[in-house]
Amino acid sequence: MRRIHPPNFAAASTMQVFRLQLLLTAASVSLAGIDGVTVSTVAADAGSAESATTEVMEPYAELLEHTDVVIDMVPIPGGTFIMGSVDDEVDRNDDEGPTHKVSIAPFWMGRFEVTWEQYEVWNEKLDITRRQIFGTNSTPRDSIADAVTRPTPPYTDMSFGMGKQKHPAICMTQHAARKYCEWLTAKTGHYYRLPTEAEWEYACRAGTDTTWSFGNDPSRLGEYAWYEDNSDYNYHIVGQKKPNPWGLYDMHGNVAEWVLDQYHADAYAKRADAACSNPLEIPSTLYPRVVRGGNFEQSPSMLRSAVRVASSEEWKEQDPQIPQSIWYHTDAQGVGFRVVRPMNEPSAEERKNHWDKTAPVQLDPED
Amino acid sequence: MPTSDSSRRTFLKSTGTLAAAAATLQTTASGAFAAEDNEIRVALVGCGGRGTGAASQALSVPDQGPIKLVAMADVFQHRMDTSRGGLARRFEADGRMDAPPERQFIGFEAYKQAMDTLRPGDVVILTTPPAFRWVQYTYAIEKGLNVFMEKPLTVDGPTSRRMLELNKSAMEKNLKVGVGLMCRHCDARRELFDRIQNGEIGDVNMLRAYRMAGPTGSAAVPPMPADTKPLHYQIKHFHGFLWLSGGAVSDFLIHNIDEGCWMKNDWPVEAIATGGRHYRGDTIDQNFDSYSLEYTYADGTKLFVDGRTMPGCNNDFATYAHGSKGLAVVSTAGHLPAKSRIYKGHREDADNLTWAFPQPEKNPYQLEWNHLIAAIRSDTPYNEVERGTMASITASMGRMAAHTGQKITMDQIMNGDHEFAPGIDQLTLESDSPLMPDENGKYPIPYPGIIKNREYA
Repeated sequence: MRRIHPPNFAAASTMQVFRLQLLLTAASVSLAGIDGVTVSTVAADAGSAESATTEVMEPYAELLEHTDVVIDMVPIPGGTFIMGSVDDEVDRNDDEGPTHKVSIAPFWMGRFEVTWEQYEVWNEKLDITRRQIFGTNSTPRDSIADAVTRPTPPYTDMSFGMGKQKHPAICMTQHAARKYCEWLTAKTGHYYRLPTEAEWEYACRAGTDTTWSFGNDPSRLGEYAWYEDNSDYNYHIVGQKKPNPWGLYDMHGNVAEWVLDQYHADAYAKRADAACSNPLEIPSTLYPRVVRGGNFEQSPSMLRSAVRVASSEEWKEQDPQIPQSIWYHTDAQGVGFRVVRPMNEPSAEERKNHWDKTAPVQLDPED
Repeated sequence: MPTSDSSRRTFLKSTGTLAAAAATLQTTASGAFAAEDNEIRVALVGCGGRGTGAASQALSVPDQGPIKLVAMADVFQHRMDTSRGGLARRFEADGRMDAPPERQFIGFEAYKQAMDTLRPGDVVILTTPPAFRWVQYTYAIEKGLNVFMEKPLTVDGPTSRRMLELNKSAMEKNLKVGVGLMCRHCDARRELFDRIQNGEIGDVNMLRAYRMAGPTGSAAVPPMPADTKPLHYQIKHFHGFLWLSGGAVSDFLIHNIDEGCWMKNDWPVEAIATGGRHYRGDTIDQNFDSYSLEYTYADGTKLFVDGRTMPGCNNDFATYAHGSKGLAVVSTAGHLPAKSRIYKGHREDADNLTWAFPQPEKNPYQLEWNHLIAAIRSDTPYNEVERGTMASITASMGRMAAHTGQKITMDQIMNGDHEFAPGIDQLTLESDSPLMPDENGKYPIPYPGIIKNREYA
């Protein structure tokens, strides 16, 4: 018995339909990577990625083919920001500093956290099932997307009775979130991935340098976020609270979000004061990795723009199987993710050797 | 739910900014073990994910003297290898894992070889598919071993009768036998049971349970690749075949059925049920993808159980008991934490909450082992087989009602003559399966109302 869509979500849905039509029109005339925008030929060097190219980026809705599900994407202009928190920020942790200047290349980011209805197209193979049931022919892209590994069926309800549909998907490992992006890339022909930790904080701050993107007053947090005081210990349908200045919803709270990076407590300390552009801590161990943004069970301080949370093997504690699944963090009921799409799509080699690079390889014992 | 989730909250807060060490809770058992006289040796028979998890919990029992894994058995080498790898990572360094190649056994006789390495009073873990349970329990009793066995214990009437009969000799030998219905060992549910028996929700007059998730385990079985043996393929996908596991009802719904019966403190006398196969695609298993079971107790009280493995649907995984004075939430979402609680009236309104088990809860998969080993150490009578068999046959009763479209009584199922896998104690790796596919690779499925006296023909 979940709530009916609140007004602001309903508005977003209407816009989705409109954008979807635009997208379909654009797709029919553009076989190249990016529909409806001018693709910059400038390399993805953040220093040079400025508004001249990003002015033409538009919000769009990415349709998951063979379903009626779309992912709403918001353009994030390239630019420079100060990453981390200042020494006197209340409840600050040492790993949030020192602050340092980071430049970020333009990208699109999911307006909302990935929802169950978007996630289960992949993890429960609803696209394939729908093709079978309705006798739809598969496209050449489908055969690539179908070949991307999908999770083995779990033994429990991964929504933990908190609701599905437009509620955020949770409990996936970072590996699962990465695989979802790989599948989404194959499925759509557009390169999607998790945000880097720097991209995430840049988008969360949205031009602000305060504790939260709305300022420093925790008494206003309830206008923007689901957290321990207002969530009733449930996650909530995405997009019901106010967005941040760049139109992103639930960056603070609801569910924390995976980013690409390995967690290093001293990551910022190691970044020189010199120009730092598009940093990424490429993972070389399974734990710890980074989630950002805080979740519905946490206190205001854990929802701050600068807070960094490290993943842990304990997030699989209640999985009674050994080896434990590579797909599920059954105890991370406050962890989800959102996707980004870089405006300047990296080459296949750049993806492999940099953006999608991760170790150790995750092999499913069930395969 | 004011008391809910405090464990996770605390946990997420406390790990908020720390690069938490990758230590698991399973490494808390104390000490390294010399070959002392009081060492309990363990053999693992059935090296799948659950069996390996059970072995890990056995080796993690805290403060009760030395326990060591000394032998392993499976029919598949790759299962053995994966299991060994998972256990070695946690337990090899301190010697708790001591199952070298000469004590690793492969094949349908491997269970005997593994048990032969033990002394009377040691423990064997039986975590193969349930079909083999009575065969291996027979040998364990013969060898005087204490036993941990996973649920379900049986899948049909004949093997249920056999199990109960067998268990008499285990009782005579005072063997300690634990059954993997771990919810029975959960502190929260135990306190709730006491409160219900004390009348806190009044007379229990209706119970309901749900395990409605997406595709689960190996319940949906894709077509068999060429050059695969049906017996091997079926064991790999054992949730798909009734002779091996009892299928989705027996293997998945049994926990919720059992905890419902526990709270009612009785076993039902009959069942009716519906169910069907809707999204089957090209799958070859024998399961329905939805089940709705209605159990009736001797006093007329009902237990309703809904199971579903369809993709894309709303999910629910919980058990409730309604009484004349209020509502008890037995379990909330999955097996743990249970978050057991009681409300005045029948709505889950926070204002009407009268009791909730404090969080965090201990992991019942570990507690069931702590309890078993404590009974062995103190030589206290401990045998869960009758209860486990009753839970198993109760699940089978509901399943048979759905599969045949008939009302099935406890007497009927318990005295039934359809043994799904006769002669299973004679299987070898080269054998045909007790259930062979037709020329199209398909298996017999239930036809409610058409095949009425057995679940498939």
